[in-house]
Amino acid sequence: MPDCSATYETEVEEGQNKRVVKCKFCSSIILTPTTAAFSTFEYDLPVMKPNKDSTSPPETENISYFWAVKDMFTFFNVGFSNTVGNTKYLTCADCEAGPIGYHDITSKMSYVALPRVSHSDPV
Amino acid sequence: MAKTYDYLFKLLLIGDSGVGKTCVLFRFSEDAFNTTFISTIGIDFKIRTIDLDGKKIKLQIWDTAGQERFRTITTAYYRGAMGIMLVYDITNEKSFENIKNWIRNIEENASADVEKMLLGNKCELEEKRQVSKERGEQLAIEYGIKFIETSAKASIRVEEAFFTLARDIKAKMEKKLEASNPPKGGHQLRTSEPQKKPTSWLSRCTLL
Repeated sequence: MPDCSATYETEVEEGQNKRVVKCKFCSSIILTPTTAAFSTFEYDLPVMKPNKDSTSPPETENISYFWAVKDMFTFFNVGFSNTVGNTKYLTCADCEAGPIGYHDITSKMSYVALPRVSHSDPV
Repeated sequence: MAKTYDYLFKLLLIGDSGVGKTCVLFRFSEDAFNTTFISTIGIDFKIRTIDLDGKKIKLQIWDTAGQERFRTITTAYYRGAMGIMLVYDITNEKSFENIKNWIRNIEENASADVEKMLLGNKCELEEKRQVSKERGEQLAIEYGIKFIETSAKASIRVEEAFFTLARDIKAKMEKKLEASNPPKGGHQLRTSEPQKKPTSWLSRCTLL
């Protein structure tokens, strides 16, 4: 897999998202600029593509780059899934594509996976 | 960090199964996502941001997500709700008749001053219509609430409906705030003060 960290670097300014964070599929605005903190750690997030076999555990993808959001009402538009264990998964509020990240019930932190969203300049 | 909004309103979508509540909220979703991990576990609520008269309003919107099939919408679900969208399907007579039951359920379980609005959804399906617009309007008058016909699938007037509900909640909150902080001088609202002319919900509705 190509290392995408170099391209993400340009999205970060003073540790925050420099540009608008949008849905990759429908361009719904998820976060406005400078509202989330750049964060690097490893997390296995279920994949976005359709699951052929719904009985097996979801296929996951290891993600290392996130936008961390402390207060869920910081989001411009976002969907929260029902709770699975200690986690709610984040989706696009409009087209419901996801998971684009997750929310930890205990810490109340939300994390948007950088590879699952697009970034663009405010219009 | 400073708050990124001025108001936070909790809204509920109520109505029979199949009236298109999910679509109302969340715009028409593509079938492409119907078999994903997310569609399997279901969505609990959504957060949306709107701009109302220069104020940033966060809407936290819950869908009953199938609970209504079992008529188990209880006090817990209504707790903290400031606005309720009552949704029926204009191509389904039964869903319209059930609005009365839903209003009773709300009266029994929700806070008395919750702001309500009636939505006749699926208005793009004119050829299958079973409930006339007039009957929707009449029911809304009966309960003293606003009414609008929407097409979530064709994205017709859905956003307006939410703006209207949010605007009414905001007005109610500001009125309350004013009442608890009366202007200096210590007197309450005097009868001599010019009264705001009440706007007819009908005349407003035509604007939508």
